[in-house]
Amino acid sequence: MLAKQLTMNLSQTTRRTQSKSAELACDLELVRRIVAKEECALHELYTMYGQRLYSYALCLTADPALAEDVVQDTLEAVWHSAKSYRGEGRLIAWLMKIIHHTVSKSLRHRPMPISEEMESNLYADEPLPEDQTQSNEQTALIRQGLKKLSPEHRMVLELVFYQGLSLKEIADVCNCPVGTIKSRLSYARQQLRGVLSRMEEI
Amino acid sequence: MKHYLDEIPLYVAGQLESSQVSGLEEHLQGCSVCQKEVTFWRSVSTEIKAANATITPPEGLAERALAGIHEKELPQKSFPVFSRLRRACQQAFSLLRAQSYLIRREIWPTSLGIMALGVITALLSNHFEAIVFIAPLVAAANLAMLHNPENDPAYELVVATPTSSWKILFARMSIVSTYNLVIALLASFALLPIIPPEFLGKLILSWLAPMAFLSALALLLSIWFSTSNAITVSYVLWIVQYLKLSKILDIWGMHSSFMELFWNAYQDFWKSPGLLLVSTLAILAIAMFSTRFSEHGLTQRSV
Repeated sequence: MLAKQLTMNLSQTTRRTQSKSAELACDLELVRRIVAKEECALHELYTMYGQRLYSYALCLTADPALAEDVVQDTLEAVWHSAKSYRGEGRLIAWLMKIIHHTVSKSLRHRPMPISEEMESNLYADEPLPEDQTQSNEQTALIRQGLKKLSPEHRMVLELVFYQGLSLKEIADVCNCPVGTIKSRLSYARQQLRGVLSRMEEI
Repeated sequence: MKHYLDEIPLYVAGQLESSQVSGLEEHLQGCSVCQKEVTFWRSVSTEIKAANATITPPEGLAERALAGIHEKELPQKSFPVFSRLRRACQQAFSLLRAQSYLIRREIWPTSLGIMALGVITALLSNHFEAIVFIAPLVAAANLAMLHNPENDPAYELVVATPTSSWKILFARMSIVSTYNLVIALLASFALLPIIPPEFLGKLILSWLAPMAFLSALALLLSIWFSTSNAITVSYVLWIVQYLKLSKILDIWGMHSSFMELFWNAYQDFWKSPGLLLVSTLAILAIAMFSTRFSEHGLTQRSV
């Protein structure tokens, strides 16, 4: 069974490299149209990446209204500085970098840091179905563990697993060395593992 | 056995380099620890994806962004210099308007009253010099009252605003100096019954430069010392020039040519508009610069 999974993974990898270059060409074309000030291109960009932009902004700000502003500012920044994107990396990584920058700029003007209350509002517990299975229980534990992570660790997980960025790209987004991202990842692992093992003991 | 704990999350996310993938997969076949690790990260990944899937982006953000872009582009496209200039003017105007409420209100009627008295005296005694004498004194008193932390009702406000104190002082000074100029001009016009019309220009020039210098000096002294000291010193400096020093010295029997020379130079100084205006500018620059330090000193004194 494992062998089957592995071959599947392998074929996924090859497909991914093929799709990567296609994605890059598509991104470049989109950006070229934005540089040419085609307004429908910005709409297209939002349709393609809006969900990912917004969810990352939400992850960083923990405030839906602020996240909305951040995405709007990011789109404006994309409109003005599209020229500086030359396809040296993936568009999504470039966009994440702008989101990151916009958030840190707007959080600097905030009177207070993100409060715990806001944090817990964001990933509110959703009622689990009544027939809880073993895996459901584990899922709930992981969800709790994720909530307890600090924003910077949560952010790395978000970029790795949801936005599908590579370590290098994440380091570029956060403007810190790859080593820092690696250690944040392993710290997040320890935290989550800790939650799980503690629950297993009980 | 070496485990691949650092690489597994990347592997699960599909971000591991293909050169590393085969080694890891080989290792996975026989390592239960890493297999568990893969399962763990898979469920983390699933959970993160599930949490994100519930987030829906707000609609119409692209439209809002474009609207924002158009809004910012429009004024900039038509004259960028113009709009910047207009914004600067608006800012200056709003600062002036805000400060005009914060200047001590007594200034306005008092100086107008004193000037009116001067005009009446001049008209009655037929001596237009009364205005030349009074105008600088009124102006100096007004400016000495501008920077007065002990009695300024709005002092806390001034200190707390992000606008730098020299700008505030400059705004107040502009307002009050304009007012001084206007009432002095009105007074000069009021003297028309006793002076010939062609003499009006000369009359105005004879108080203009001393007024500018004396008020700048009063402002500087008020920042350095205090309002009352500033008024006293500037008044003495102004009034003393009318004394006939040589006569006083003669009476006391200590005539000295050096003193007389100095005295003539001093009197000439008040009569040379160019020199006065240049020194006015220099004093104003020093005054604006010293607002930075005076604030601190004065607050300490008032504590």
